[in-house]
Amino acid sequence: MNLLLAGCSFKTTPIELREKLAFDAARLPLALRELDSRYDVEAVILSTCNRVEMYLARPNAIGLPDIDLLAEFLAEFQKLPVEQVRSCLYERKQADAIRHLFRVTSSLDSLIVGEGQIAGQVRRGYELAKEQATAGPLLHSLFQQASAVAKRVRTETGISRGHVSVSSVAVDYVRQVFDHFGDKTILVIGAGKMGELTLRHLKDLRPKKILVTNRSPEKAVAVAQGCGGVAVPWAELDDALVVADIVLSTTGAPEPIMVRRRFNDILARRSGGAMLILDIAVPRDFDPRIHDGDRACIFNIDDLQRIREQTLAERQKHVTPAESIIEAEVLRFQSDWTRRRNGPIIGKLTQEFEARRKVIVTQLMAKLNGKLDMADKEYIEGAFRLLQNQLLHGPITALTEEQHDPTSLSLREALFKLFRLGE
Amino acid sequence: MPPLERVTVFCFAASYGLALVAELARLLQPRLILRVLSMVLGTAGLFAHFIYLVVHAPSLASSSGSMLFLAFVLAVFWLYGSLHHAKVAWGVFVLPLVLGLIGLGLIAPGRPGGDEPFWASARGPKFWGMTHGLLIFLAAVGICIGFLASVMYFVQIYRLRSKTMPGQGLKMLSLERLERMNRRAILWAFPLLTLGLIVGLGVSIQLGELSQGWRSPKILSALGLWVVFAILIYLRYGAHIRPRRVALMTIVAFAVLLLALGTAHPFLDEGAP
Repeated sequence: MNLLLAGCSFKTTPIELREKLAFDAARLPLALRELDSRYDVEAVILSTCNRVEMYLARPNAIGLPDIDLLAEFLAEFQKLPVEQVRSCLYERKQADAIRHLFRVTSSLDSLIVGEGQIAGQVRRGYELAKEQATAGPLLHSLFQQASAVAKRVRTETGISRGHVSVSSVAVDYVRQVFDHFGDKTILVIGAGKMGELTLRHLKDLRPKKILVTNRSPEKAVAVAQGCGGVAVPWAELDDALVVADIVLSTTGAPEPIMVRRRFNDILARRSGGAMLILDIAVPRDFDPRIHDGDRACIFNIDDLQRIREQTLAERQKHVTPAESIIEAEVLRFQSDWTRRRNGPIIGKLTQEFEARRKVIVTQLMAKLNGKLDMADKEYIEGAFRLLQNQLLHGPITALTEEQHDPTSLSLREALFKLFRLGE
Repeated sequence: MPPLERVTVFCFAASYGLALVAELARLLQPRLILRVLSMVLGTAGLFAHFIYLVVHAPSLASSSGSMLFLAFVLAVFWLYGSLHHAKVAWGVFVLPLVLGLIGLGLIAPGRPGGDEPFWASARGPKFWGMTHGLLIFLAAVGICIGFLASVMYFVQIYRLRSKTMPGQGLKMLSLERLERMNRRAILWAFPLLTLGLIVGLGVSIQLGELSQGWRSPKILSALGLWVVFAILIYLRYGAHIRPRRVALMTIVAFAVLLLALGTAHPFLDEGAP
């Protein structure tokens, strides 16, 4: 096995350079074909906003291009100075490359540990290489196992548990209060940029109605049109709050727009259940004393950020078990690959020895015909079989241990020559 | 002794208890094996409980028997909830109540079961006595479910008030769902309770029990339960009070139910002709 990874990530390279090194969707197939034609290698390129990595492989012992050559290729392809590209590239070989890919796919090497996008990005990179016929037997096996490892890590550890985006956390809270949304009214107060993503998540819940209010009626209409809602005059804010179930507040008001006394009057007019308020404005729009966990639940930006941080901290606890899984899977991949690659030669070696043993034993038996009883014959056959096994033990063990010793690349060839297996 | 007769209260109580331990352990280590263990133990307990009720046929007319029957129905409710809400800490709430009712059943006054199960004697004039008992029994199931929904409601309120991370600690149904469960349980229980009491009143008049006085604990506890429920329904639908107060009142109704069951109000009136 000959495997090399060369690339850069957010850990080693600033965004300004990563942007230039990233392959756009149109040129990625071209880069794959170029790598294949120039170096005659199996190739998969992983290009995301956080990393650009080239996985090159040859299933036989022939060497791969070194990192300097790959830096030249990348620099030439992306029209950048070679020195600049070379300085940010890292390389991993053999088991280290396998481990790196498994860690990347399992999202242990991500900016946000446990995020779910990277596994899909790796899969798409591999599928493109398949389409371009640049993924050969080694990279097929490697990337398929990488997906399986990522799935195993995700299901056997809590690495991806919980949400880490503020808007997803907000929806998690909404689900703590409500469980169906077809009869719910969402009220959007203000038109802050911060609320856009959260509103998109809330809209996915398919509420009955979305009301939008803003001090500027034009802005209210614009936001309402964008989300399929209804604009409500600012003066009718209290009336809107009386009917609202979920409130998303994102105004830029310098002081709270809703104080406790005013809100108590609104509560007195409400006949429905609890109201959930996502106050992601800074400074806050709602007096925090309104929060009682029963009739009104307020979650502000700090609460949502805190949950995000807690989730990330929780995920960190699962990194060590995830690393253990990856370590075991790296070993498994290596031994599987070695078995797969060396299976035929081990079979041939065993067949060859088996045939020679049988010839010798048959000749010996013919010579000693009549002088041996059945027990003697069985003993002699057993002794020769034992000798054959002992002779084969060394070469077979060396072949199966080949994975741990990258220098023994010509072991197969040596065995072929030593035992005349090719003849 | 035939093998089925060897099934004792201890058998199913221990199974439920171990299922509860597995549920509690799940709070610390959310492992699938613990869920499976809890389900297997709880289902085994339910099976043993069923066999016990069939073989020993405890009298529903006794406090002890009625508690054991009620515990059985709630254990079925636990199984249903556990299957439908796999991620919710359902057993942590339901199983203690099941165990509590079994415990009360053991200390409450018992009455030996007859040679045949109670339903076998539902003939002739005893029919109305049994109808009265069954209606009250079903109302009691509703009250217990309302009680569980109320307790879970308070826990969920606490979680929301303290802004506990979603998915951390006890996993609960949404506030809305719990409120709805409570409301349905109350709406189910009240007509059954009312109807049961009317039938019971008719039976009592027929037996001439009322002439012995209204102040018997049996009548007073039944009326007390009905009054609590009537107030509860009024507060919920007439006065539109906060769901938290409705939940609190449901817990009070449950306490009155326990008092009624524990002191003087068996579900089935064996005094009926």
